[in-house]
Amino acid sequence: MTTTLANISETAPRRRLQRDQVIGLLMVALGLFTAWAFGLGAAGRSQSQFTFDPVNASGTVPWHLGALTLPTRVSCLLAGALIIAGGVEILWRRPRRALLARFGGGAVLFFLAILTWASRTHGPSQVSFVNLTSVLVGGIAPAVVLTYGSLSGVLCERAGVVNIAIEGQFLAGAFLGSLIDSVTHNFFFATLGGVVVGAGLGAILAFFALRYQSDQIIAGVVLASLVISLGSYLNLQVLTPYPQYNAGSPAPNLMIPLLGKIPILGPVLFDENGFFYLVVALVLLISFGLFRTRWGLRVRAVGEHPKAAASVGIDVIRTRYVNVILGGVVAGVGGVALFAWQGQFQPGITSGYGYIALAGLIFGRWRPSGVVVAALLFGMSVYLANNLQTYQVPVSTSILLMFPYVVTIFVVSGLIGRVRAPAADGIPYKRD
Amino acid sequence: MRVELRGITKRFGTFTANDQISLTVEPGQIHCLLGENGAGKSTLMNVLFGLLRPDEGQILIDGEPVTFANSGEAVRRGIGMVHQHFMLVPVFSVAENVVLGFEPTKSFNRLDRLRARESIHEASQRFGLEVDPDAIVEELPVGIQQRVEILKALNHDAQLLILDEPTAVLTPQEIDALIGIMRSLKDAGKSILFISHKLREVREVSDVITVIRQGRVVGTAEPTDSETQLASLMVGRDVSLTVTKEAHEAGASRLEIRDLVVRDDRGVAVVDGVSLDVRAGEIVALAGVQGNGQTELVEALAGVRPVESGTITLDGRDITNATPREILDAGLGHVPEDRQRDGLVLSMSVADNLVLNTPRATPYARRGSRRRSEVRRNAEERIRDFDIRTESPEAPVSSLSGGNQQKVILARELSRPLKVLVAAQPTRGLDVGSIEYVHRQIVETRNAGQGVVIISSELDEVLALGDRVAVMHHGKIMGVVAPSTSRETIGLLMAGVVLEEVAGA
Repeated sequence: MTTTLANISETAPRRRLQRDQVIGLLMVALGLFTAWAFGLGAAGRSQSQFTFDPVNASGTVPWHLGALTLPTRVSCLLAGALIIAGGVEILWRRPRRALLARFGGGAVLFFLAILTWASRTHGPSQVSFVNLTSVLVGGIAPAVVLTYGSLSGVLCERAGVVNIAIEGQFLAGAFLGSLIDSVTHNFFFATLGGVVVGAGLGAILAFFALRYQSDQIIAGVVLASLVISLGSYLNLQVLTPYPQYNAGSPAPNLMIPLLGKIPILGPVLFDENGFFYLVVALVLLISFGLFRTRWGLRVRAVGEHPKAAASVGIDVIRTRYVNVILGGVVAGVGGVALFAWQGQFQPGITSGYGYIALAGLIFGRWRPSGVVVAALLFGMSVYLANNLQTYQVPVSTSILLMFPYVVTIFVVSGLIGRVRAPAADGIPYKRD
Repeated sequence: MRVELRGITKRFGTFTANDQISLTVEPGQIHCLLGENGAGKSTLMNVLFGLLRPDEGQILIDGEPVTFANSGEAVRRGIGMVHQHFMLVPVFSVAENVVLGFEPTKSFNRLDRLRARESIHEASQRFGLEVDPDAIVEELPVGIQQRVEILKALNHDAQLLILDEPTAVLTPQEIDALIGIMRSLKDAGKSILFISHKLREVREVSDVITVIRQGRVVGTAEPTDSETQLASLMVGRDVSLTVTKEAHEAGASRLEIRDLVVRDDRGVAVVDGVSLDVRAGEIVALAGVQGNGQTELVEALAGVRPVESGTITLDGRDITNATPREILDAGLGHVPEDRQRDGLVLSMSVADNLVLNTPRATPYARRGSRRRSEVRRNAEERIRDFDIRTESPEAPVSSLSGGNQQKVILARELSRPLKVLVAAQPTRGLDVGSIEYVHRQIVETRNAGQGVVIISSELDEVLALGDRVAVMHHGKIMGVVAPSTSRETIGLLMAGVVLEEVAGA
């Protein structure tokens, strides 16, 4: 007892770093790493070359654009210096707003430095280049899938139900989409299949979460695991012996006349498959619905304070059912989009996109517009991680794949800005 | 609208919460339902508002019998309720909250925000309910949030407004404003059912008073009846409304708080530079509207919330950011605000709860194993000394009434050598008999030479118990005054006017 008392006076008040200071320090570290690894790590005379030519599915180049040549070391040092400057500015001026935007800017510079490194000449005889247009096109494909997943999360969680089964809904959508496309060669029917299976899985999740008020995380994880195991089983029992049922092809691109001809932007935004245009429409529609309409006000009320919603006669349970099923539909279509991008079903096709989509949901603060930013950032990391093996980048691809999760951990722990989930998110609702 | 309750009975298992209750609210009347906590007021209102189904009895609106399957149906029949815990979505604007469920829309189901704003303006002007329709609700003071609740009910075209303990969270000035609003509603022909156990307000505003006790109507009273008459009707026996408190000389300083800054869960500095001394043998009462930092201050004192800066010194020892264990051992007793969440382990026995703060100390444990006989012996002693009403020491503490649960906590904290007792809302939700008992214990603790800090949102309690009254507003102490100071002055301090200005006015 006496020793305890003696210790008390020595207990000093704890000093903790503020979250903006942590971000500032992180950016300084990222900048130092960029300058060291990509700037000093490049030979002094090496140069980086970027090209911007659009590439068709057939591999032909419809038109040429001039290439851009940069000195590698100077460019990467400059990128590193800019990131450090951003970090120092945060530490120095302690801005209250737009912390996330500053951090995002740093991340973009980091990506550019990676690409600059990757496109450098390795020696006098060896010329290398990176096609920035195809990098952007390549990053959009996973971003589309991630956006479907995050939008599904927006619909469910804004109404107060956590949908952690997105991974499973993706897989089911991809499986059925592949099967239907193989038989009918029609992506409209494939999409319908995704709608039906997504709605079904959403309904099952809703039933457990709402009828039996079971823990939504556990119900969702179990459902996702079940679907994934079922997918492997069906793959083994059906698709392997009968390969004609797994003979689909990627969805064709639909180029928008005129707009598709714009350099860089055209191939990236206006020469995509139907699932890209559909998700753009969904983002706009859900954003409008949630924040401008009566439906959205009621959904958000149900997700924030279900008792208050019930006290003015809103049917909380019904609203949640509808939204979880709608969310399932969106994720199911996202699964078809995943297949439409890859062109073939394999058991591991989802490779964690459903969970990255949930991270994007948090990163995007449960808003359709924010979710798009997250999907682009995460989609680009996925693309780079999958494609940079070809270049001798001094960053392991596994590290790049960790990027979305590291960023999400910072966001969730409140280090970058304040994120607040809908207040009743994940909490079962009981009528009195 | 004339609303009549006829013979309403509501049972929960074997417990009868409402027993043949009848009352009538006439149009343009403020009808008060007076009763202690647990008398069945809230149950009755939930029956009237369609949240509970009565087992017997009828509700009549303008003479016509009605039944409500849910509260939406009650709202459609013109009944509006302002709940004790507001039914507002914190992140929504005032306008969004008011129209929720009854939204005006344009084409494509779009919200018509302009019309929502206009209808709020109109109601604001008609009933004197000033409020900015675009403000975000969670950023508004509680008094204004309550106006939003009232506006919401009026927007749903309520003819009868049920106000459930509306003054519990308000400053005296806000209470005056609320009473003004109630009167203007009454003049506009609305009926009001006003639920309260605060005699002062009940007498000031009511036209008719119905008193209920243990689920039964025990009589009606006139607003002209004295507070003592009302109190004895409510409690069922004569009660003294004052705390007998002998004069007592304060001694040396026991607890010193210097420039304390504490943040709440959202990171806001809700205690913002508080300095306060508590001497031996005195009660310092912290007054203030709920949510002005009192809760967080007490949590910091008890070591359950980190201190950002500043120091807390207990009898010369720095206990800033010490662990709760160290603070308890240093001689600080803590009666937490939410006794069921923070003060007790409800599923554990009375005996175990009585030794919760000394789990490893002799004689209750030896070499890591518990000695049940000692725990039981201790429990029997405490149950006798503190008059805890329980079937047995082994009964789960959840089976006790609120007053007896509070006695368990007091018995636990007061039966070890203390230097300072910190009690948050020590009588919240207790019946009058238990309140008298708790007050007596607090005064005796002070008479025994210990320092006492209490926080309370009941101004009567603060003034009755405190030797000095410190008024908090927005995390700062606006002034430390004698308990003889006028309620008006204290009310101004609670509203954030600094002491010099109050004195100057």
